[in-house]
This record gives sequence, structure tokens and C-alpha cells, in this order.
Amino acid sequence: MSERHAGVSRRTFVTGAAAAAGATWLARGPRRAAAQTKATITYWNGLTGADGKVMDELIDQFTKETGIKIEQQRIPWADLYAKLQVSVPAGEGPDLALIHTVEVPHFASDGVLEVIDDSAMSSRGFRAADYLPATWQGGTFEGKRYSVALDVPQHLLYLNVKVMKEAGLLGADGRPKVPASRDELVQMAKQMAKGDTFGFGIGTVAPGRYTWGFHNLLWQNGANVFTADLKRSALAEPAAVEVADFWASFFAQKISPPSNASCRDAFIAGKLGMWIAGSWNFTGLREAKVDFTAAPVPRLFKQPVVWSMPHQFTFPKPKGADAAKRDAAWTHIRWMTDHVAEWTLKAGQISASRKAHADPRITADPVLKVLMSQGANWQVGQPTPRWVAAENLTRPVIESVYIGQKPGKAAMEDLARQINALPA
Amino acid sequence: MARRRGLTAYGFLAPGLLLFAAFRVYPLLDGLRLSFTNARLGRPAQAFVGLANYERLLEDTRFHVSLWNTLFYTVASTLPILAIPLLLAVALNRGTMRTVLRGAFFFPFTLSVVTVGLTWLWLLDPVVGPFNYYFGWLVGRGRSWLSEPGTAMWVIIATTVWWVAGYYLVIYLAGLQDIPRDLYESAALDGAGAIRSFWAITLPLLRPVLLFVFVTHIIGSFQIFGQVFVLTQGGPGDSTRTVVQHLYETAFQNFFAFGAASAMAWVLFAIILVFSLLQFRLLRGHTEL
Repeated sequence: MSERHAGVSRRTFVTGAAAAAGATWLARGPRRAAAQTKATITYWNGLTGADGKVMDELIDQFTKETGIKIEQQRIPWADLYAKLQVSVPAGEGPDLALIHTVEVPHFASDGVLEVIDDSAMSSRGFRAADYLPATWQGGTFEGKRYSVALDVPQHLLYLNVKVMKEAGLLGADGRPKVPASRDELVQMAKQMAKGDTFGFGIGTVAPGRYTWGFHNLLWQNGANVFTADLKRSALAEPAAVEVADFWASFFAQKISPPSNASCRDAFIAGKLGMWIAGSWNFTGLREAKVDFTAAPVPRLFKQPVVWSMPHQFTFPKPKGADAAKRDAAWTHIRWMTDHVAEWTLKAGQISASRKAHADPRITADPVLKVLMSQGANWQVGQPTPRWVAAENLTRPVIESVYIGQKPGKAAMEDLARQINALPA
Repeated sequence: MARRRGLTAYGFLAPGLLLFAAFRVYPLLDGLRLSFTNARLGRPAQAFVGLANYERLLEDTRFHVSLWNTLFYTVASTLPILAIPLLLAVALNRGTMRTVLRGAFFFPFTLSVVTVGLTWLWLLDPVVGPFNYYFGWLVGRGRSWLSEPGTAMWVIIATTVWWVAGYYLVIYLAGLQDIPRDLYESAALDGAGAIRSFWAITLPLLRPVLLFVFVTHIIGSFQIFGQVFVLTQGGPGDSTRTVVQHLYETAFQNFFAFGAASAMAWVLFAIILVFSLLQFRLLRGHTEL
């Protein structure tokens, strides 16, 4: 068949095709151009558990609403921090990172994080009045702001209904009894402990090495890792030694699982009655259909302090300034703060911003209600660049106390000596 | 002509040598330089501190403990690592199902150290782990294997043997294939049984392979890290803490003290070098290499 017979000449066909392509380009042009103006940002965090999937969903929603793409990297926290320390000085860091409060001082003093101007915060609607003091202050170091808090991972007391029922520890209302003191907790734990079932545990896995639980008890007893001036360790002081002795009694009295056990698995398997652990565990317990209730962390020493460690949005120092990327990162922080109720409901972490606390979906949830009730008792780690290194040194020492390898006093003196030897 | 061929050979070798120099030799030497400085990541200023990092190691009790643990692991794991794969290889050299069994024994080696560690961590969990459940059923009560200083290192050794036995098994099998069959036939005609043949033929002729396994195992043992990190994180207390873990934490967790960590790395390198030279010297007279 010839072209003429088809009714369209080659020239006409080529001209028509070019015109059609041009028209299509013109029609698409403005939209594509608009899409190109939206920055793509890189975002590193340590949300490697169930909460990471929730963050994925929220980021998808954010991208749909704003057109800003986020390339998220979820890295286990310890590796994330090492990676940030190495990559940021090389100019290979992310545009945005989520870190824990206690990481702010050392990253700030090592020049890994950018200082955030007060004006940058206020112009985007971030105000101190919207946050609880511990979370707002956690973003500052030596008078300068380095981060904005997202949420408040914290401890709470989980009570296993099955285990407590078998031990006769349900109240008249059919709900597990809540220990009101240290003696009562130990007494109840002993009542539940038999064979491979334990009455009390603290920490998700490896309870003997669980520094966050140890810190919680220290803070309850008015003790801390460093003295108030942050110059030397306070762990050899009597209040800290008292905590260490209590720590040693858990496994020695056979009320707590061995040092390397998984308390979470034991709780799910119905082999652990009372469990002080992080708020990030409760959505998993619901998924596993464990019959449990939650209560505030009991006051086991002088004050009802609850350990917490807010997640903080930070800007790692970039190689060169990129206003579009920074603006996109701010847009994400603002968006997440405005949608933090979704994060709280799905990931189980109470928001740092008070605005979401009145959301009826949150106030109706029994566990979230408990978590919010602890707000006045939240405490965070001390603002010193040596905090994280001190915590690393603490882990094996408290484990040796837990398993009875070292007496509390000697262990705390040894630990204080090691911490004091850390470089300033 | 010969010179031209030599140049051609060097030409072919050059890319590999360049990569080796850039990614092996240079970091090694730069690490040596760092070990004489107070280098810390995030603090650009570095000062020459002479032997201070090495002197500090003399006072670092945790380094001493780590060194002792590493040495203990190396010595205690050597016999099982040498013997168990060898016995398996001899058993699997002939017989039915040998291909399937070789595959079965080699399979663990295909797993990453994290997978191996997490698997055993769950199997040995003192509360919900199946191993302890059956152990408790047999002897009345379970044990917290990884929480007790007396057993934790042995569990790490057992896990390592389970993990790497298949790899050494394959090496031994290759060595066994090289032993002429007629030697065994002659020995059988002379009335030698399986055990006598093993001691008189198999073991002597496997010496080069044994030396290879021995040396590579010792070098690898001094660098043990993955299994310990996943299974015990050096615990209970510091009872399974090894030199590489101490080095890793010094470099990447506690203040990124690259200078101090480099000094540890060089001390470890020197120890491995001495042990390797000793092994070669001890076995040189008995083995054709």
C-alpha cells in the first residue's frame, strides 16, 4: 500500500506527529515544571520496628499532600548514630534526621548538627507553650537550639492479666492490682514467680543490661549519672549504690528473668507478670492479642519519675546550603507536628506537642491515657556530651551487678571511675 | 623479549595492585599514623601524642580482659574447629547420602553472622527458648546459658563451630580427595583398620590442609566480633568481650577515639603476626608447603 493511497503523505504525517508531540509537551510542561520545583529530601531515622511502617504511611500521605518526596533510610539507632558521625563531616549526611534527646549534646559539640534560630522556630509556629518543658528543653544544648521534639517514648508498667490471675493478684473489679511501693512490688513478684514464670522484669530484651531502666530507678531515688555541674560522675554516691543493690536483688531473688532473656517474649508467652518497659511495646502486645493492662510506672524510691527520651528532628550540617531542601524539611516537621495524633494512635508514642493531647481518639485509649498522665513526671538524660559514652560503660557494669558477679558498691565505684576518665 | 613479557605481566597486575594499595596498604599505614595521634572524629585538629595511646592500653583493664577473652576463645575453639570438621569429612568422604549431608553441613555457613546469632539467641532464650525447654525437661531445670560467665563463651564457641564446620569440611574433603586410594588399599592388605589408616595415612597426608585450617582459624579467632556482639554484646559483665569489640566501641561508640582504637588494632595485628609466624615455624619442618 502506497502512502498516497493511505490518504496521508509522509510530510503531513511527520508534521502532524511533531505538532501533536509539541502540544503534548506544552500541555504537560507546566505540571512537570511545578513538580521539579519540589525538593526531594533524605531523612534518616532509627524507626526499624512497627513504628517505621507507620512513618512510611505518614510520609506517603505527606508526599501526596505536598508533592515533597522523602527518601527515608531506617537504620538501627546505634548504627544510625555512628553513620551520622562519620557521614556528616564528609558532607554526605541526610537533610533531616530523627535522633534521641541524649544524642543532642555530643552531636552539637562535635559540630554535626546545625543550630536552629529562634526565629526559624517561631515563624513556623513552634512555641514553648505548646510543649511540656522536658521535651522543649531537650532540644537545646548550652543555650542553643539544635532540635525539635516529635514524641515522647517513655516507660510504663504492663500487667499481664493471665499471670496475675493465676497468682491471685486480681482486684475485686477483675483488674490486676498495681503495686504502690517497692516492697509491694517485690512481694507481688514473689507471689507470681515459679519455675520459668517471673513476677517482674524491666527492659525489653537483656534486662540485666537495660540502662534506661537503671536510669529510671536512679532518677526516682534522686540520683543521677553525673553531678549537677556535669563535671564528674555521681554514681558512687549512696543513692546510686542503693539503686544498684535493688537492681542486684531482681535476679538474686528469682523474681526477674535471667540477664539475657527477652522480657517481651516472656510477657507475650504468659511467663512474666509485671513489666516496666517502653511505650513502643504496647501496639505489638495488642497485635499479639495479649491480655494486659497498663499503669503508670510505680514509685519505687523517693519520687515517681518516669524515664523518657523524646525523638528529636534535627538538621545535620550539609555540605552546602540548599534553601529548597531546608524549606522542604521544615515543611515535613510542621506537617508531622500537625498530624502527630495519627502518629500517636498508630505508633503508640505520645506527642511532644500538647496540641494532640486533647484529641478524643487519644484520650479514649486506655494505654495512651496512662502515658499522658505521666507527663508531669517525665525526666530525660543529662545534657552532657559524655552521656552516651557513660551509658555504654554502664551496660556491662550493671549486668555484672544483676547476675551477682560484682557487689553494688564496688561496681558503682568502678563505673564512676571509668566515667570520670572519659575525655571532656 | 623476557623484559617485555615482564612488563605485560605488571600491566595486567597493575589494576589489582593499585586497588590493593589504595584500599589495604594505605588505610593500614594511615592507621599506624593515627595510633600516634589523639585523632577523634568530629574534631579536625590532631596532635602527635607519641606512644600515649599504647601506654594507655597498659592501664586499660577492659582491654586486658578483652585480650584474655580473645586468647581463651582462640585456644578453646581450636581443637573443636580442627577436629569436628575433619571427622565429619572423613565420615562423609564415602558412603551414601554424602552429597545431601555435605550440603546440610555446609548450609549454616551460607547464613550471615547476624542470622546465626539471632537464631541461637532465640533457641537459647532462658524463658521461651526451645533448647532450654527440652533441657529443663531432661534435667529438671533450665539454665541461662548466655547469662552465666562460666558458660557464655562456650556457647559462643559451640555456635561458631556449628556455623563454620561446613566450610572447613569442604576444605578437608578437597584434601582427602587428593590422597591416593591405593595407599588405603595397601594398608588394608597389610591388615590396617580404619583407625590405623586414619593415623598412618590420612592425618600425615592432610598436614598442609590442617596447617591452612589452623592458621586461618587462629587469624580469624583473634578477630572474632560478630557472634559475640549479637549473642552477648560482650556479657555477662565483660566475660565475653573481645579485642575487636573493644576496638569497635572505642572507635564508633565512645567518643570516636580513632587514635586509641588504631593503637588497639596495631597491637592486635602484632599479636596475630607473632602467632602466625610461630605456627609456620613450628610446622615448617613437618609440612611441605
